[in-house]
Amino acid sequence: MGIRVTFMAGEGEDGPLVGRTGTLAQIQSDLRNAGPGGTSAVFVTGESGVGKSRLLRETVSSLRDAGFAVLSGTCLDIGDASPLHPVLQALRQFDHNVQPAGSAGALLDRVSQDLREVAGDRRLLLVLDDLQWADRSTRQLLLYLLAGLGDVKIAVLAAVRAEALQGTHPLRKVLAELRRLRSVRVVDLAPLDRDQTVELVTAITGGRVEPEDADRVYKRSGGNPFVAEELARDLRDGRVELSDTLREIFLSRVDELPPNAHSVVHAIAAGVEPIGHDVLARVVPLSEAELIEAVRAAVAHRFVISDTDGYRLRHRLVAEILVDEVLPAEATVLHRRYAEALSLDEPDHPRLALHWQKAGEPARALPSVVASARSAEELYGFTEAHRYWSSALELTTGDSPERTELLAHAAESAHQCGEHLRALSRLDDLSRRSDAPSQCDLHLRRARYLAAAGRTATAEAEYERALEAPDCSPRQRASAAAYLAELLLHLGRYADANARANDALEMAEVNGSTADLVRASAALGFSAAFREDPDAGLAVIRNAVDIAERSGHPDELGVAYLHLAELLTGPLNNIEEGVLVARRGAERLAKLGAGRTYQTRLLAIAAKGLFRVGQWSEADAVLETAMRHRPSGADAVELLLARCQLWVGFGDVEAAHRDLDAVATLLAGGGARHVLPMLTLRAGLAMWQGEHPTARASVQRGLTETRSDDLVLIGVLAWHGLRAEAEAHAAGQPVDPGALRRLKVAVERMAAGVGNAAAPVRAVMDGYLDLCAGELSRVEGRQDPAPWARAAAAWDKRGQPYPAAYSRLRQAEAALQRRTRKAAAIGALREAYATAIAMGARPFAAEIVAVAQRYKVALADDVPTVPFEIETTDELSLLTTREREVLSALAEGLTNREIGERLFISERTVGVHVGHIFDKLQVRTRVQASRVYLTAA
Amino acid sequence: MNQSVWGPVQREMTDLLQGHPDDVPAVVEQLKELQSILGHVPPLLRENPLCDFNQLYLTITEGVLERLYAGKFKDPAFLSRLDVEFATRYFDALRAWAGAGTSPRCPEVWVCLFQRIGGPDCRPLPSACAGVNAHINYDLPFALVTTFDHLGRDPIDDSDQHHDYLEINDIFADAIPGLRRGYLEKWQLLIDTMNGCLDDWWQGEAVEYTRNVAWRNAQKLWGVRHDMLATDRERAGLDRTAAGLSKLLLSPLGSFLQ
Repeated sequence: MGIRVTFMAGEGEDGPLVGRTGTLAQIQSDLRNAGPGGTSAVFVTGESGVGKSRLLRETVSSLRDAGFAVLSGTCLDIGDASPLHPVLQALRQFDHNVQPAGSAGALLDRVSQDLREVAGDRRLLLVLDDLQWADRSTRQLLLYLLAGLGDVKIAVLAAVRAEALQGTHPLRKVLAELRRLRSVRVVDLAPLDRDQTVELVTAITGGRVEPEDADRVYKRSGGNPFVAEELARDLRDGRVELSDTLREIFLSRVDELPPNAHSVVHAIAAGVEPIGHDVLARVVPLSEAELIEAVRAAVAHRFVISDTDGYRLRHRLVAEILVDEVLPAEATVLHRRYAEALSLDEPDHPRLALHWQKAGEPARALPSVVASARSAEELYGFTEAHRYWSSALELTTGDSPERTELLAHAAESAHQCGEHLRALSRLDDLSRRSDAPSQCDLHLRRARYLAAAGRTATAEAEYERALEAPDCSPRQRASAAAYLAELLLHLGRYADANARANDALEMAEVNGSTADLVRASAALGFSAAFREDPDAGLAVIRNAVDIAERSGHPDELGVAYLHLAELLTGPLNNIEEGVLVARRGAERLAKLGAGRTYQTRLLAIAAKGLFRVGQWSEADAVLETAMRHRPSGADAVELLLARCQLWVGFGDVEAAHRDLDAVATLLAGGGARHVLPMLTLRAGLAMWQGEHPTARASVQRGLTETRSDDLVLIGVLAWHGLRAEAEAHAAGQPVDPGALRRLKVAVERMAAGVGNAAAPVRAVMDGYLDLCAGELSRVEGRQDPAPWARAAAAWDKRGQPYPAAYSRLRQAEAALQRRTRKAAAIGALREAYATAIAMGARPFAAEIVAVAQRYKVALADDVPTVPFEIETTDELSLLTTREREVLSALAEGLTNREIGERLFISERTVGVHVGHIFDKLQVRTRVQASRVYLTAA
Repeated sequence: MNQSVWGPVQREMTDLLQGHPDDVPAVVEQLKELQSILGHVPPLLRENPLCDFNQLYLTITEGVLERLYAGKFKDPAFLSRLDVEFATRYFDALRAWAGAGTSPRCPEVWVCLFQRIGGPDCRPLPSACAGVNAHINYDLPFALVTTFDHLGRDPIDDSDQHHDYLEINDIFADAIPGLRRGYLEKWQLLIDTMNGCLDDWWQGEAVEYTRNVAWRNAQKLWGVRHDMLATDRERAGLDRTAAGLSKLLLSPLGSFLQ
């Protein structure tokens, strides 16, 4: 650290605070009141000079007194700040230097961990000024933290310039997303009114003010406290203000500064704040004594403030006025001096890049720009990296040799940050270079970029061109074919995908990388499964898992396990085995200490599968493990949705609301895949609470956002919608005819679409169509048990107890009301109740009890007692509930087939369970396993 | 700040604008309530020019909602988001409106229309058109950029999103029969009397053309969206041009459109 010069200003740093007492108290109480996720946030918006920073300072000092740990950072307006700048800067004040991490998600986790460490057992207040300049990574971090994913008890206080929020500023979007969280407040700071302005003026002048003077100050300042304060000072000092604009007011002040102070102020205005004393000393050519004298004068004239980390201008408004005043030649000299001064220390590349560019020295700026791009990439700030690569291109001319490499980087970083158009145009530039990469390479890249941009037809053509390119190596050809097969699969062209995947697999087996092999196998497997040859598909993907196991590469293992688990739990509806595979894959990757994203995704599949087969407590446990990976982005959304499904099922309203809020905040680009389940859950939750209008609104919104090919999603949604109308009808509330009509249209559309769907999809759809038919009969007041009996049978066949039990409840209800087949009805009701209790579905069980009471049916007699609990020892506690069931049957001496029959799972699945049991108990025979079990039990 | 810009319905207006609709059905609801509140703003009541626009906008948005329910769009999630973002900007402008000369955050193009709420009266068609002009020529490009940013996609010609976007032209054509052929010639004549930038910017068919201009402008904004200075320059430029057109529409000349 260099010398720091502090001064006492002639008067207190801050003028009196007028007209903000209420706002201040409100902000503090909002920040203290954390929402259910343990987070809270206040965003203060308002024009420049309205007093945002002042409110921040006041709040910080009182919350610090109240025991908060405070971290402060300021966003920079240099356009090309480095990723996460304000937060990393804040952490450095506590000597935490965040290290690069293995992935963007891991980085968010690491930052959260540092924040937790700084906080200790205190609550943390993160203060961010000038948030409108925050880089994309910082904005994402805020969403992540405030959605509660970082597990940091954090309060965020940020100031945003209102001027910046016009137009398309990205922060608009972030604020709109954050607004959905209950614990977030956006405070719009208005200018002072006339009386408040007069109060401020009086406080500064320290006495009476002529009404016309006060009026003039109000009129000129428009109630802006910063300007009003300055004008009041003029009034007090007897200065006659002739100028009307803020600009003229300040320029006349600058003229009054002593010459050296004048230089200091201009130098600070040209720099990137805060400016350390040692840097300033190198930029302003004055002796030490002169410099200190000059800074003292600048502080005394209220232009500059001196803080622990360096000098700043008192207000950004002043900096903006001064920057326009400096002659271009003067500015060039100042920037050159800054660049030279900064080169002496450990290089701060973003600042160096800025100053060299402004000094008109592109060649000297280039290395710093490139270094900044690389370090942005290390922090997964692809947006920032892309901007650096682009400015690097601007610094070079067409004939410079490094341009080819720069273009390649610029294209790839644009692709990474989702600027697909930009990526494609950079690639075009690249292809025109004399030293461009090979034709095949260019086609492959273009195809990838096009596919990402959603232009699938053109992407397909590019892959074909890559395959035909004369300079295409066998390896590239295998890779192109595998990608193409994957693309065709996404387009639903299963026959084409199948043929292409076959070719790709052949090529990849000879010349391909493991990644290509896995990709081609997955495409082949899924296309086969969708073309009603599931066994062939399964065999291919199992083989891919074996290949990945041999290579041991985490990404390949992750992809292979993911495909297998998805195939099993999805089209093949072998959920039990799919769950096993997913868990095994996750464990495997955990042992390798890699593939965090894949682990999260695998566990999400496992949890969703467990939910469907009714093993809710197990699903809960899996989700808890998965959340410990602190997922971000789409992965986080998946997990939160899966967990929320459990909360809705368990009837934990508060937790469900918290997760739904978090999902709504994080949703971006997820499309129907995430939005529709969120809306469905919201509707389901509202129905348990008897809030039919809310349920109806959620479903109706969902109907506006569905595509005709989202069949399964529409199925669940339409069922929820019809159920909401049926429940409203049953509760004696009005049914919405418009909503009902639209739901019927959706069901018709769905029924029409089922014919074209692949067989596995058709099977699920039939189950939902049955449920919809049942609800319709309720809405129409026909008490018909028949559709419900059909639905129950359909869901039994799919091995999904929850919808099956729900259908039984309705079946029983209809029969009891009709007074027909009472015995069957009672049986169905008891069976539903047993399922509900076993799963822990409290609101559902309560509904069954209500129906039973209404028709005086006893549920208790035949309710099986709580499943046989095994006293757990350390050894058995490693086993899942299912594994314990298998082990207990095994100890009875049953064969795998017999166990399968008893537990309604395939023999093969029993085999997999047994393998796991052996692994976990570290035994090799069934006898040994039985012995462990019997000793423990 | 002038607190009484909405006169006797100030309270209702403030309350209504507290809401931030998040989906298309909610946007329709908000526009409906707005319509009934605007009908009570003296002195023109239901004859006020903003009412004319709001009614048209409500009709158009109901048309969008109907098509969403009917599954007419290729990418309904995109279109829903766009509709919400689009409406947000209109509500933002209303929130920022505090009277002529005291609304620094209200775009100039909206100020042109808002300041006529209190009279003098102008004909319904030009009034509605001035609103459409503000909303399409100024708000729409920004709404498009924000929507694409939200969905992580690019504004690409001939994409599903572009197709859906163009589909809305039909809804506009249905809702504004007055803008069809016969009137277009008059409109063209009016535009022809203006020289300079308006001329090459506004030619061919009114709404369809304008909406395409908005798409082009969105693509232009998309390219500079990370550059705050450039974005702001573009914003100011769009506001100026669109405001120029609105002033023309609301001038005595504009009534000749009816």
